[in-house]
Amino acid sequence: MGPALKQVAVIMSQHIGAPCKATVAKRQEVQANEIIGDSEAFVSAKIHSPVSGVVKDIANRSHPVLGREIAVVIDVSEDYSPKLPSPESFEDFDLSKYSQDEILDSITQCGIVGMGGAGFPTNIKVAPNEKMPKHTMIVNACECEPYITCDYRVMMEWTKQFVAGVKLIKKASGCKTVYIGIEINKPRAIEAIDKVLTETKDSENISIVSLKTKYPQGGERQLIDAVMGKAVPTGTIPPMIGLLVCNVATAAATADAVVLKQPLTHRVVTVSGKGIKNPGNFYCPIGITVQELIDNCGGMTTDAVKVILGGPMMGFSIADLNTPTTKTTGSVLVLTKKEVNQNKYLNRQTNCIKCGRCIDVCPEGLLPCEIANSIKAGKIDRAMDFYMTACMECGCCSYVCPANAEVTGLIKTGKILNARNNKK
Amino acid sequence: MSENKIFVSPGPHISKPASTRSVMFDVLIALMPALLGAAYFFRMRALIVVGTCVVTCVITEWLICKIRKQRSTVGDLSAVLTAIILAFSVPPMIPAAYLIIGCIFAIAIGKMVFGGLGNNPFNPAMVGRAFLTASFGMAMTIWSVPANLNAQLPQIGPEGAQICESYNAQDLEGITQATPLAWAKNAIKAKSSEEAQEIVNENFGHSQLKATLFGYTGGCLGETSAIALIIGGIYMLIKKTITWIIPVSVLASAFIFASIFHLAKPDVYVPPLFHMFSGGLLICAFFIATDPVTNPMNPKAQALFGIGVGVIIMLIRTVGGYPEGAMFAILIMNAFTPLLDRLCKKIPVGGIPNAA
Repeated sequence: MGPALKQVAVIMSQHIGAPCKATVAKRQEVQANEIIGDSEAFVSAKIHSPVSGVVKDIANRSHPVLGREIAVVIDVSEDYSPKLPSPESFEDFDLSKYSQDEILDSITQCGIVGMGGAGFPTNIKVAPNEKMPKHTMIVNACECEPYITCDYRVMMEWTKQFVAGVKLIKKASGCKTVYIGIEINKPRAIEAIDKVLTETKDSENISIVSLKTKYPQGGERQLIDAVMGKAVPTGTIPPMIGLLVCNVATAAATADAVVLKQPLTHRVVTVSGKGIKNPGNFYCPIGITVQELIDNCGGMTTDAVKVILGGPMMGFSIADLNTPTTKTTGSVLVLTKKEVNQNKYLNRQTNCIKCGRCIDVCPEGLLPCEIANSIKAGKIDRAMDFYMTACMECGCCSYVCPANAEVTGLIKTGKILNARNNKK
Repeated sequence: MSENKIFVSPGPHISKPASTRSVMFDVLIALMPALLGAAYFFRMRALIVVGTCVVTCVITEWLICKIRKQRSTVGDLSAVLTAIILAFSVPPMIPAAYLIIGCIFAIAIGKMVFGGLGNNPFNPAMVGRAFLTASFGMAMTIWSVPANLNAQLPQIGPEGAQICESYNAQDLEGITQATPLAWAKNAIKAKSSEEAQEIVNENFGHSQLKATLFGYTGGCLGETSAIALIIGGIYMLIKKTITWIIPVSVLASAFIFASIFHLAKPDVYVPPLFHMFSGGLLICAFFIATDPVTNPMNPKAQALFGIGVGVIIMLIRTVGGYPEGAMFAILIMNAFTPLLDRLCKKIPVGGIPNAA
């Protein structure tokens, strides 16, 4: 462990939906697990304090996607001892002890959100919906992107907790079957989960599906295609065809919430990249700053040029190292000059030569270069004709582009412009 | 705390170390067997023609960038590629002055006026060649015998044979002769079927097929050696510089077309393999039709494009007035590229979204 934690900044919009309002005031004392943010809106999730201490300020902090956002800044009290994970609490887990309503209530009270990246409130996702009855649940154990290993470590070290979480979500959602999709480059995780499934009760209809290792296997639609051989219709979401997709970290957090009544205040974060001196996976409070995480890993190397929240493909590079982590931050990467694309580093872009490489790799079957070139020309309508909104921003097109164009970046811009046009 | 200068940009933050230059460089490597073949068959002429083209094209592009006060785009190697493809598709004996004019036209009008690489609707090398054909028709149709006089090819008649005997091979700059495709055309145009059959029998046997395959035959500089072009094409397919769709659709459609004609009238139309190995069909299928800028992007449209190229080449060879039609086929299909792309728009994985 590096220097002791002094301060955390808990951002009030950590999820999709309405941002929370701070329920504490400046200079107020807060205890760990106390609610510090809440909202009346339907699509929202409660936010809890990860530490005990005093609210120092309620002020703007950098957010990797939204720019500046309101955060509750808490000075950690001196007698606060860091919370440790407790996977041993799930040794003799018994599913029959918890009713469906109890599980759903715990998920709501503990502010669980999808921890894979989108941050959609889990209680809404899991709760049975008459209009869209769910029949199958798919656990995304694919580790969406290179570098990231936090889900892998959770599956390996907290296997029982993870499996308990899967069973709880299965019961709460009313799904009949569960598929756990794991890439075959993780044979030890497959073995460990398989062992737990055979040794514990209530494991019927839960099966492991080993999948080809490729990017983007962990995308929701790609995962469904890989596991069930089914394409989710363009412009719709998995619940519309009766599917529930959930992430490894979310399952583990759900188990914590239901069994231990532990709110979502901590998560496993991968700190990696060649620019980090001692990379690793850490169980850390949500709201710790990136700077503090990096310092705990021995700091940056001298040739580090980029700091990313998220993976190397879909993550967001940040300029402000005081950016706090959120419920959806699964990784912090520090890349060196050698790791990032030199041509992009020097901003050496050339004309699109229409080679079609982006078309070959697009997992959604779109025409990325056409969309990007339309947006570049200011023709959002034309970009919409090429199904711009079906893009999931996986970054494969930019990855292969020989002209080093920011194809994905342009499409992201186009989507924002389109949303603005629609608002008017 | 940290002294590091960090920078931000949209994701993805890692990427394949590919660039336009590396793509073009791969194509240049693939052209090397054909270049070696050209150097072997046409000796100094090959080097003069290729050298003139490369120097002219590169200087033209550099000058235009200079005039327009842009960063020079010479480094992407596309000018070199255009130069070599243009050099490969002209007769070896063409005067250097004509070549210079053709190259300037190809780069300036064929590419740079549209805004440089990526924006040109037509293949610049073919634009340059079309300009040369229109301006210097004579020079564009004089074909020389390859430097090794063991040519197992149709000789140019008794006088030609005499000339060959009366000179020492080293003293010759070149001897002209007709190309296999010209013979094929003569057979089609023959007054009587007996005459046609005579031409076919005389010029299209097994030994001649071998000559077209290896390249000791008359023809454009880089087009004569079929095997060298095929090796280059396979290299690009393995390196994934090109996809298989266009080469296969061009060659297959041309082969089927030629087969039908040959089977219908074998004494007039030459065997399909001759069409495969001679003229510009192979260089067209592997190097010109696959030019990413001027061919369609959608796989289905690419197949249609390839079929169009193959069929137009064969139509011109069999029915049209010219012995060879690769250039016209490419230019015509280039014009159809945007239309084809629009017609064959790719459908997203989840199907077309319901208009809600």
